[in-house]
Amino acid sequence: MGRIAKIARRTFLLGSVAVIGGVAFGYWKYKQPYGNPLDDRLTDGEASLTPYVKVASDGITIITPRAEMGQGVHTTLAAMVAEELDVELNAVKIEHGPASYAYYNEAVLEEAVPFLPTDHGMVAETMRGFTKVPAKFLALQITGGSSTTPDGFVKMRKAGAAARTVLVQAAAQKLGVSESNLKTENGHVIAPDGTKVAYTELATLAASIEPPADPDLQPQSEWRLLGKSQPRVDMVSKVTGTAPFGVDTQLDDMLYATVRVNPYLGAGVRSYDASETLGMRGVKKVVEVTNGLAVIATNTWYAMEGAKALEVEWKPAPYPLTTDEHFAQVAASFTDERQDSQNRNEGDVEPLLAGGNVTEIEYRAPYLAHATMEPMNATAWLRDGKLDIWAGNQNPTLARQFASNVTGIPAEEIEIHTPYLGGGFGRRGEMDYVQLAVEVAKGMEGTPVKTTWSREEDQCHGFYRPISIGRIKAVMEDGAPKAIDIQLAAPGAIIDAFSRQGLPAAGPDGSIPMAAWDQPYTFPNYRVTAYKVPTMLPVTFWRSVGGSQNAFFQESALDELAHAAGVDPIEMRLKSLTHGPSRKVIEAVVEMSNWGSAMPVGHGRGMAFCLAFGVPTAEVIEVANTEDGIKVTKAFAAVDVGVALDPGNIEAQVMGGLNYGLSAAILSQITLDNGEVEQTNFHNYDAMRMYQAPSIEVKILENAEKIRGIGEPGTPPAAPALANAIFAATGTRLREMPFSNFVDFA
Amino acid sequence: MRRLIFAVLMATVPAVALSAEDIQTNPPASATEAEGLEAWSRIYEVTSHSRCSNCHTGPSDRPMWSGPSYGAEPRRHGMNIRAGESRIGAETLPCSTCHGAQNGEVPHSPPDNASGWMLAPVEAHWFGQSSRTICEQLRDPARNGGRTLNEVAQHLGHDLILRWAWAPGPGREPAPYSLQEHVDDLLIWGVAGAPCPQQ
Amino acid sequence: MRLNVNGQTHEVDVQEDMPLLWVLRDELNYTGPKFGCGIAMCGACTVHIDGVATRSCTLQVGDVDGEVTTIEGLGTPDVQHIVQQAWVEHQVAQCGYCQPGQIMQASSLLDANPEPTDDDIDVAMSGNLCRCATYPRIRAAIHTAAAKMKEA
Repeated sequence: MGRIAKIARRTFLLGSVAVIGGVAFGYWKYKQPYGNPLDDRLTDGEASLTPYVKVASDGITIITPRAEMGQGVHTTLAAMVAEELDVELNAVKIEHGPASYAYYNEAVLEEAVPFLPTDHGMVAETMRGFTKVPAKFLALQITGGSSTTPDGFVKMRKAGAAARTVLVQAAAQKLGVSESNLKTENGHVIAPDGTKVAYTELATLAASIEPPADPDLQPQSEWRLLGKSQPRVDMVSKVTGTAPFGVDTQLDDMLYATVRVNPYLGAGVRSYDASETLGMRGVKKVVEVTNGLAVIATNTWYAMEGAKALEVEWKPAPYPLTTDEHFAQVAASFTDERQDSQNRNEGDVEPLLAGGNVTEIEYRAPYLAHATMEPMNATAWLRDGKLDIWAGNQNPTLARQFASNVTGIPAEEIEIHTPYLGGGFGRRGEMDYVQLAVEVAKGMEGTPVKTTWSREEDQCHGFYRPISIGRIKAVMEDGAPKAIDIQLAAPGAIIDAFSRQGLPAAGPDGSIPMAAWDQPYTFPNYRVTAYKVPTMLPVTFWRSVGGSQNAFFQESALDELAHAAGVDPIEMRLKSLTHGPSRKVIEAVVEMSNWGSAMPVGHGRGMAFCLAFGVPTAEVIEVANTEDGIKVTKAFAAVDVGVALDPGNIEAQVMGGLNYGLSAAILSQITLDNGEVEQTNFHNYDAMRMYQAPSIEVKILENAEKIRGIGEPGTPPAAPALANAIFAATGTRLREMPFSNFVDFA
Repeated sequence: MRRLIFAVLMATVPAVALSAEDIQTNPPASATEAEGLEAWSRIYEVTSHSRCSNCHTGPSDRPMWSGPSYGAEPRRHGMNIRAGESRIGAETLPCSTCHGAQNGEVPHSPPDNASGWMLAPVEAHWFGQSSRTICEQLRDPARNGGRTLNEVAQHLGHDLILRWAWAPGPGREPAPYSLQEHVDDLLIWGVAGAPCPQQ
Repeated sequence: MRLNVNGQTHEVDVQEDMPLLWVLRDELNYTGPKFGCGIAMCGACTVHIDGVATRSCTLQVGDVDGEVTTIEGLGTPDVQHIVQQAWVEHQVAQCGYCQPGQIMQASSLLDANPEPTDDDIDVAMSGNLCRCATYPRIRAAIHTAAAKMKEA
């Protein structure tokens, strides 16, 4: 019997007909919530609440409906619930749960409004509040945008508090004791006489009690779990090889497949000959899929060998064939026709730029692949009009929709299982790999098939970080920028992704000026203009999105301007910064790195700042110019997340985010040779390794106005801080990534 | 322990993987200096070729990578590979961690180490060296393993590692000429008195 | 063909040039070793052959001439190897996909070199890619494991 059926037998939901001894609790703040996603799995009865907590006879389960792709959200979300429910993290089970609109992310669009993230005035906050409406309407169960923590912070705690409230009420009934005399402790209600009743014993009774709609929450001063580093709930399984990733899905009588898709992205198959493949050992079938072919076999390796043997004639690339042409297209986009937005235009830059002494600099950033460690894969099982999908993914409701489009099965009837993700970084918000796996399953109806891409397919069929150019003009006065004009041209990651996903894709693309227009600098004349380049290679969200290139452009330029004016780059920035939390992160890295202290010849220090995803982040990088090339020796980072729920995990995310940015800045680019992606595997798309990793010191501050997520903010300042450090050490100014195209690294 | 690992590694190297066609080592009866120098220039083409010089890196214990996808210039083997004093990485990361008994079929997969893969001795420094420098090294018994030139040729015929240079697996350019031609050239060069070029 | 994995003997019927990784994963259901690149460039597939770290994605099963140990054979959630304990202590894993390979490589390093310096770690561990870049904590965990092994 399937696991879900087992849960259905022993679990029931609050407000629904009882089955064998379980109850689920949830909290929902809107008047008409989406249906309870666990309902259908349990009974035909109606359920009034969204479950984040299930209590069954054999234990307590917390539902953490966001992708665990390394950022530690299962632990932090579970801690939010456990804090209020009054249970220990190691005493509960934690599950991702099913795909459901009920688990939509209401915070992900909050920063999409054209108000500065530092603006907490009534209008800005009201507009942010309105984004919850389209967020709910779109109902994306999305993990991204560093939004999981702010999205869950209230609702997950309320879910725990509501559950605890009805459990206490149930105990009061059972023991005949007033509620106010009862306490709770680690999954038990405790009576004044010391009698302990386990939550699991109270589930049936609690099910008949209406939970409070808006329960009180523990004050921060009373937190037991939140605010303290927690052992990650996935740690032991991940170090013992027992953690299930999507690619580890094993089902009875399963077959294994791989795909071979047109290397000219987006183009189809003209003709093919599969006869050699079909004669190979282990090969069962060759199936046509979107823009390519899939080979189904008894072993993934047989499938990969079979795929290599396919003779295919591909249709031609629908985009320019060389990287130079792509950059030329970007360079040609600084026109009125292609102007996409101008979210910031303070003072009047025009007359100043028309005068003398204008500094003009251009920077470039290449396409980048996400290169998750786990190649794209999904398992699909289509039989008797039913479809189950196992896929590490960042958006299960979207996965369901794509699968529905392929099979015609209503999305709500498709079961999405979300195991751990072997890295996401934005790549697993795209659903192409789910779609292909479902197409494969459709060609092998009745049999579960796991479709695993080779690294080569993964690298060459990405949705890439947009290629981009930044042009910055500036006029200085008294050692500070008097006018800054930033022009940014890139394909639109948001519009491109949304249009593939059937979502509204109109209006300016917020990814192009992201982490540039919204910086807290107070330059008196300050203009940021975004130009949208027509899509060539498909592009999408890549860890920190626009921040990954725009911070490099702006923060490098500020460093250049400071050096040219003979002033300290940090002092110059602080002159133009009044936002308290931003100033404090910069002051923190100044102190941590002993900024300004003497360094040996050939060594250098660089700083960069960026406010991205609401988190002010400052980083200092130290480098040494060695015989073998530049070596990154140390890094210091200070971030302000408003409220730090798990300092140990935040530190890990900042280290990882910073290194992810350094890795790309030093090593990574996706280029084209006659239309095909040249970087086919890690031999020429290498990433930071142990010997290149600096020691990193992280400081977490809590001065900012709101609680924020930290998966991405560590990334943007890394590239400019490194470029600035290399300049300090060598006098060489790097204006294009990756830097290893221009200088040697040790 | 380190010594043990080293021994285990050496012991587990499979004996033969490359085709062991017989290499003839019959020196010519005579050869002029001009013929010797001409033979040497071909030998230098081989010794300076990436398939050979990438593992003759002298005092550096870093093998090199080269090929179309690594840019115009050869570069250090990725992943911070150090062969160490053992010249097979026994101290930290043995070559055999990745280099198995077969040339990988997938482009850019590791070439085999069936033939006792290791970095050449420090004194056999070819990478980036001039023709004259390599020539003088090769004829100097103190730096060629104490061999006469005839023995050097014999050694080439017997040492399976060298056969790899002409069968390097998919996507890699083999060393020029053939192993037999290379051995013949060595013999001509030796009979001619091992002349070295001016540069 | 016979294969000894984690102390158990398995009979497998596959093409001899199939990489060991795919025999372990798809034939024998040892899913701890991961597929990352297929060309020994990332180390996610690392297992031990007679105790020595080896990339299983390029090692043909017909060339396996010793006992195979996978991450599942190194330790279990209930009885963890010292290296695994150190990984938990330092909370190393993020996405966790590369960590079985990292741990197999680290335990092989410590077997050969019980007191590795930072430089030794830089050489031995740089074949193992981690896209979450957990390197600072991996380094700390290796030092901790080394210290614990010395005590034991």
